[in-house]
Amino acid sequence: MYTLIYSSKGQASLVSALLFSSALALTGCASTEPATSGDLTAAPEVTPVDPYEGFNRSMYGFNMGLDKYLLKPVADSYRFITPDFMQTGVTNFFNNLKGINVVLNDLLQGKFEQSASDTGRFLTNSTIGVLGLFDVASDMGLEANVEDFGQTLAVWGVDQGPYLVLPILGPTTLRDGGGIIVDKAANPGTYVPGTGVLEGINDRANAEGALNFIDEAALDPYVFTRESFLQYRNNLINDGKAEVDSLDLDVEAAFDDTESESYDSKKKTDNTSPSGAVSK
Amino acid sequence: MLRIIFLSLSMLLTIGLSSPAVAAEISAKQVVEEFQGKLIDVMKRGKELGFQGRYDQLDDAVRKSHDLPKIARIVVGKQWEELTSEQQAKLEAVFSQLSVSAYAHNFKEYAGESFSFISEEETGRGGVVVHTNLKIPGEKDVKFDYMMKKKDDSWQIINIIADGVSDLALKRSDYTSVLSRDGFDALIAKINEKIESYAKQ
Repeated sequence: MYTLIYSSKGQASLVSALLFSSALALTGCASTEPATSGDLTAAPEVTPVDPYEGFNRSMYGFNMGLDKYLLKPVADSYRFITPDFMQTGVTNFFNNLKGINVVLNDLLQGKFEQSASDTGRFLTNSTIGVLGLFDVASDMGLEANVEDFGQTLAVWGVDQGPYLVLPILGPTTLRDGGGIIVDKAANPGTYVPGTGVLEGINDRANAEGALNFIDEAALDPYVFTRESFLQYRNNLINDGKAEVDSLDLDVEAAFDDTESESYDSKKKTDNTSPSGAVSK
Repeated sequence: MLRIIFLSLSMLLTIGLSSPAVAAEISAKQVVEEFQGKLIDVMKRGKELGFQGRYDQLDDAVRKSHDLPKIARIVVGKQWEELTSEQQAKLEAVFSQLSVSAYAHNFKEYAGESFSFISEEETGRGGVVVHTNLKIPGEKDVKFDYMMKKKDDSWQIINIIADGVSDLALKRSDYTSVLSRDGFDALIAKINEKIESYAKQ
């Protein structure tokens, strides 16, 4: 089902990513989970949304190590030497470059009114906003929208697919990971060598608050990150308009102990067909 | 005839008496607004109160407005049934303490934030969702949706959904993961660790 939509280039890398991950999943499980005990372990081991948990956990560990020893120190020094207004400017600049892709995906999702507003936003910030350094459009009431090809695929009915943690890039799903290829292609920054590094450092600096929050609140940071990522993406796909009754069902289902497993798979694949949970 | 008059009179009386009783009942919206008011109040005095001060201020307010026993039960999922009653009581106690600590830690200073009520919506199963916005000067609004259930005569918060991220679902995955991978004692130890680190900052 993915093959219909993904470009051949994307498909190849996704397939290899999958092969890679399933091979590592076996070794990952074997090496990181021997200590768990008894019958309690049986139920949540195979989460439909996260069939490659073993691999993902080791990738997550790798990313956290990389962050601690390289990315965080670099981002910290960037924050230290860069005045706040410059950091905001850099963030605005890279956000503005994403503007073309936002408009493209507005159109692909049939959101024509929003595409007009986002076009105005891009043009305003690129001109009056000096190449996007200043977000004057927001002050004029043209609020930023977050759209990308992963969301478009979801709107088109593509299943979420398995949750994946990629080296350096971090949490994604098969669907979103495929979408990134289009997002990158529609971003002018991709064609200017070196900008990716600055963008990466800036993104990491901006993520400081969120990462600290996870660190403070999570008992199992891997699971906490996964759940918040998937919920955040679902919210973007729905444009923040979740069904109230689905929230209610969540609570009711949580009480319904015998059905809590089917509740898990239902909840996490809210926007996809039920079969999406185990698409491989 | 007299009887009919008497009957209708008494009916009128009961209606007359019961309607103020209904009005006096605290609505879901009121519960949320009172709690949010308390939060903002504590944030404004956050620095002078310090962590312990904020904790003491919020302790009652959180326990009154949230159905913490029910939430503690939901976050461990079906494994609740496998816990002994002592373990259940222990979990409920530390979980409540953690919830208040998290509020005391996260709402520690005031920079012009304000909550505003948007709408109230009934769900299919007798619940109510109260939609509110947290306005932060210079930043995008954060949507806070409170999922409420009726308990006795009042409404209580069961779940908070911030910008589409459900606190209950998040905690549930988090807690069940720790419980099944590392067991009950590790779960309690981790919760206590969090309480301590919240108190430090």
